[in-house]
Amino acid sequence: MKEKLKKGKVTMIIIAGLVCFVLVLVMSMQFKIINETDITSIENMRETELRTELANWKQKYEEANTKYEETKNMIDEYKETDKSNNETEEVINNELNQINMSLGKTDVHGSGIEVILKDTQNEEIPKINADDLLVIVNALKLAGAEAISINDERIINMSDIVDVDSYIKVNGNRILSPYIIKAIGNQTYLESQLVGNGGYVDDLKKSEYDVEIQKNDNVEILKYNGEIKTKYIE
Amino acid sequence: MIFIAIIIGCVLGAIVGMNAPMISYTYSSYLAIAVIAALDSVFGGIASVINKKFDMKIFISGFFGNAILAILLTMLGQRLNVDIYLAAIVVFVWRMFSNLGIIRRYYVEKWTNKIKGLSKNKEEVEKN
Repeated sequence: MKEKLKKGKVTMIIIAGLVCFVLVLVMSMQFKIINETDITSIENMRETELRTELANWKQKYEEANTKYEETKNMIDEYKETDKSNNETEEVINNELNQINMSLGKTDVHGSGIEVILKDTQNEEIPKINADDLLVIVNALKLAGAEAISINDERIINMSDIVDVDSYIKVNGNRILSPYIIKAIGNQTYLESQLVGNGGYVDDLKKSEYDVEIQKNDNVEILKYNGEIKTKYIE
Repeated sequence: MIFIAIIIGCVLGAIVGMNAPMISYTYSSYLAIAVIAALDSVFGGIASVINKKFDMKIFISGFFGNAILAILLTMLGQRLNVDIYLAAIVVFVWRMFSNLGIIRRYYVEKWTNKIKGLSKNKEEVEKN
């Protein structure tokens, strides 16, 4: 049957098929593009408009980026300042601790000596009075004592050691025999200030007082218990 | 025979087109105008077959030539910022409708003649 077909008819069939092929090919490609593109947003936009839009967004992005960089730099600066503030805080804290320690507001311990004075039963020997303690404390201060206490009453800059009636008051509190004077400092200096030629403890001993000096590598001195009030200092 | 060729062409075209690589959306308007031009050529071809004035060379050159010309015109329009493709679509669609009208009239006449012939035959049968 094919042999009977004319040559013109065969070309006609081939061309019809080819034409249909091309037509449907292009149409299906177009369908695919339209299906897979988000048309709703760019339906009415032309390429130039989209380009302008893109340029706008790019510019906005760049602006945002610049702003971000600036903010980041500022944050870095703040962080730096914060760090230095922390350092300052540390220094100030150290200073505060130091001051508290020297003011007697903290318990301290270290190597030093203990001077123990006891009232004797002997009637001929007078009782230990505030002046004795004062002299010893002064001598200890002279020898570079860093902290001193009498019967756990811390001696601070405003401490008083006085006789009231037949008692001794330190920091306004009554203390009783035996009197234990604790001092932190160089043990040799402290001891040499009290004993030996002209040492007050030696003098006391000569007068048959009951006085004793003990070296201690871990003297514990408690903090000042009262309040440090200032009323008139401006 | 020609219908088999047409169906095979359509199926092959659909398969290849579905598996073809994606073309950017920018160029889809060119493809669309090409499709319209091709469709116009096909209807024109059918109409000319009906009018018995069909010429293969004219059909083929119209099919591809119109599509390419339409694409070129669209590109030119985009360069000039004038929507030339709108004019192309108007012309093609107008021609498509006129060609469809020719085809419709031909088949309507054909069928009315057939029906008339049938009724005539019936009358003849009744007369006999």
